[in-house]
Amino acid sequence: MTLTRRRFLSGLGGTSLVFVFDLSCAPEKAPEPTLLALDGDDEAALIDAAIEAKVDYRGWLAIARDGAVTAHTGRMELGQGLKTVLSNVICQALELPGERVHLVMGDTDLCPDDGPTTGSNATRGVGWRYWVACHAARNHLLDEAARRLRSAREELVYEAGEIYDPSRPGRRLGIGELGPGVRELSAGDLETTAGDLPPYVDRGTPSVEAEAIVTGTKSYAGDLRAGDCLYGGFLLPEYHAQRTELLEIDLAPAENVPGLVKLERIGGTVAAIGRTYTSVQKALAAARPIWKQPPYPPEFDNEQEIRKRSKLVGVLRERGDVERALAASDHVISESYVTQYATPAPIETHTALADVTARSATAWVGTQSPFLARERVARALALPDERVRIVGMPPGGGFGEKAGHNVADRAAVLSSLAGEPVKYVQSRKEHFQAACKYKHSVVIDITTGVSADGEIRARTIDFHQGRGKGTRKLYDIPAVRYRSYRAQIGIGNAIMRGTSYTQTIFALESHTDMVARAVGIDPVELRRRNVLNPPFLPLLDRCAEMLGYPSSERSPGHGQGFGICYHGVHQYGVVGAVVEVDRKSGTIGVVRLCGAFDIGQVMNRNTASMGVRGAMIWGLGYALLEEARFDAHRSHTAAFEDYRVPRFSDVPEIELAFLDNHRPGVPRGCGEVPVPPTIAAICNAVYDATGVRFYTLPMTPARVRAALES
Amino acid sequence: MPRMAGRTFSLSVNGERVRVSAEPDEPLLWVLRDQLQLTGTKFGCGQGQCGACKVLIDGQPLWSCQVPVESVAGSSEIVTIEGLGQPGNLSPVQAAFARHTAFGCGFCTPSMIVEATALLRDNPRPTRAEIVAAMNGHLCRCAAYPNIIAAIRSVADSDREDEAR
Repeated sequence: MTLTRRRFLSGLGGTSLVFVFDLSCAPEKAPEPTLLALDGDDEAALIDAAIEAKVDYRGWLAIARDGAVTAHTGRMELGQGLKTVLSNVICQALELPGERVHLVMGDTDLCPDDGPTTGSNATRGVGWRYWVACHAARNHLLDEAARRLRSAREELVYEAGEIYDPSRPGRRLGIGELGPGVRELSAGDLETTAGDLPPYVDRGTPSVEAEAIVTGTKSYAGDLRAGDCLYGGFLLPEYHAQRTELLEIDLAPAENVPGLVKLERIGGTVAAIGRTYTSVQKALAAARPIWKQPPYPPEFDNEQEIRKRSKLVGVLRERGDVERALAASDHVISESYVTQYATPAPIETHTALADVTARSATAWVGTQSPFLARERVARALALPDERVRIVGMPPGGGFGEKAGHNVADRAAVLSSLAGEPVKYVQSRKEHFQAACKYKHSVVIDITTGVSADGEIRARTIDFHQGRGKGTRKLYDIPAVRYRSYRAQIGIGNAIMRGTSYTQTIFALESHTDMVARAVGIDPVELRRRNVLNPPFLPLLDRCAEMLGYPSSERSPGHGQGFGICYHGVHQYGVVGAVVEVDRKSGTIGVVRLCGAFDIGQVMNRNTASMGVRGAMIWGLGYALLEEARFDAHRSHTAAFEDYRVPRFSDVPEIELAFLDNHRPGVPRGCGEVPVPPTIAAICNAVYDATGVRFYTLPMTPARVRAALES
Repeated sequence: MPRMAGRTFSLSVNGERVRVSAEPDEPLLWVLRDQLQLTGTKFGCGQGQCGACKVLIDGQPLWSCQVPVESVAGSSEIVTIEGLGQPGNLSPVQAAFARHTAFGCGFCTPSMIVEATALLRDNPRPTRAEIVAAMNGHLCRCAAYPNIIAAIRSVADSDREDEAR
């Protein structure tokens, strides 16, 4: 059954939901499914394009006759607390108890396409938009009530989902009764309302998901139809998928696996379908494939490979006469920084359930971008978009990885082969290796000219890989030249919590400390003298105060450091770290982290502070632990034992401060901005403790020992 | 293709005796999820490295992805998150996790609660270091770790207050 979306949306402004089913023109027989190749090599660019393209704010709110309010959004709850924030916003704006507010998220038949859920844009984008939309709806409801009650609009009182005229308190109209006369919200309504809004008040309510989560009853894609559908999977290539092909395969040993239902060669690999997850994995492990070995040696060195192939793409920013300003500087500091390949590694592997029939397809998938999933399923099955319904399920962690690459289309191919619903649960190894997309290794060459009194006069940065995001609005520098280079090395670029600011800020803020040391000025003081934007100043002060900087007495092996970051739209962050370096073992322990953030209105302090602490720990992992390893032939990351992520034992004391000085009252998002400065703060604290600068991440015990010995 | 033959096993899960049919080496995880619809126990790695699948077997938190169903048939007492408390009837540990927002996406949370329940049973007043040592096999990519530690400590502290009264 297909819902005609235009008709559906036009029904949303009224009272009840209008479903229109259209079963005409359905094809008799489904065409053969196609196993799609992964999209391009730059997933980050794909997601950015989707964010730019999609703004559809109509059809967000539906008020039913019984007064229940249903909100629709294509954005997803990822663990960032969007469900809680939306519920808080709607309850507060319309003065309703939580049980009268319902959220429908990520269902492509029911929700508007308001873009993928990435880059900490959900609270700012959807959360605030709902605050505006609800107040616009209130105005419409008051207009309609004035008409019905024959009272002046300004005499009316809106209270807890009811409207009345205080001179006639006996006659109260519920918002559900008013619906039929209320017109649909328009973009114009939102603009008008946005100028005149009451302040939102964070009441610190618990997460609306809490009870479901702690009882294990929150549903993820893998929990649906448990025991009531087949499982499926695909043979994982021995080498990087883009560099090999299946030459031959002996399927005979796989065919006797108990519970196996179907084995079939498709799209250069083999699909297995079985009654259990285990039967599928056993069959795939039993098959004897011969893969074509890539025709070059396996040695691989990030920096060398990137530099060897790097080609200038363009100038990102140019201002002033850089050469002259550098020549006129008292000190010129030139350095190169290199980041690792990293991967989000959510605990839930890519998972989808698909039910494909001849004329339509439905897929339930843990995703950050249901509408991108729909496009791919439609393409894989050669169906028009409107015959594909994606029910986005809240992922068990996404962190960017479930925004682009996802497996709904693969599950759909399996269901099409089986002729019944199939669940596709990636194995951990497959999850690490199949996409061959990582947060890019970036090589950053940076040169700064500074005066003797610590004024930064000139700076050049060459980004080899990456797009140089994160340089803006940090420092006030009269002469700059930032250039972007790209190297094709056959490793896909995926997005990951912290976005590409991560690499930039690691390099830039490590470098800032080296500039400060070169001129003999305290690193915090140097930042104070050079930051471009005033919101950084109180943050620097607050963070230094929380950290107890500079410390009057210092324990041996301890060091303190700071990093700053400006992210996206008006998110400012300063992080300070205290580390303890064990010279003998080379281990770096983070003792404390302090974060001061100006991220505007905090919508829910419980979910926001959880998310910010989590993001700081994410930064800790990137600085000290995480590194995806592979050579030119294959990935060596197949399990969590190969890819060290932060654990309980890595976690320091964390102290937070949220300031709201810059454009107060409006939320600006907080999911990403804590990550990059935490990395830099840890690096700078390590320098403070050891006098050794680490130019390559992560700072593993082996790297630390090697550096301290030399 | 061979049909699924499997064998029948009798299990004790959350205090109830149930019969399931599976291959003897089928990991308990999938039997719980697919045959008993106890989906609070999650698949995260199948390698015993993330902790998302932990359940109590005779009181011990174990990786259900590493336990063949055959080995726990008969007398073993299996307890999953569903056996600890339900919506409207939360256990003290579940209530503490809810109160402290000790989760992000929530995927790893049921197993964290299973582990914390066993810890607090054996050691009602764990130090921070003891909490870290007991929980260290559980990965949380949202990194709700500080909130989880706070939640576990709050259960221990409330016990102490009860005793003081």
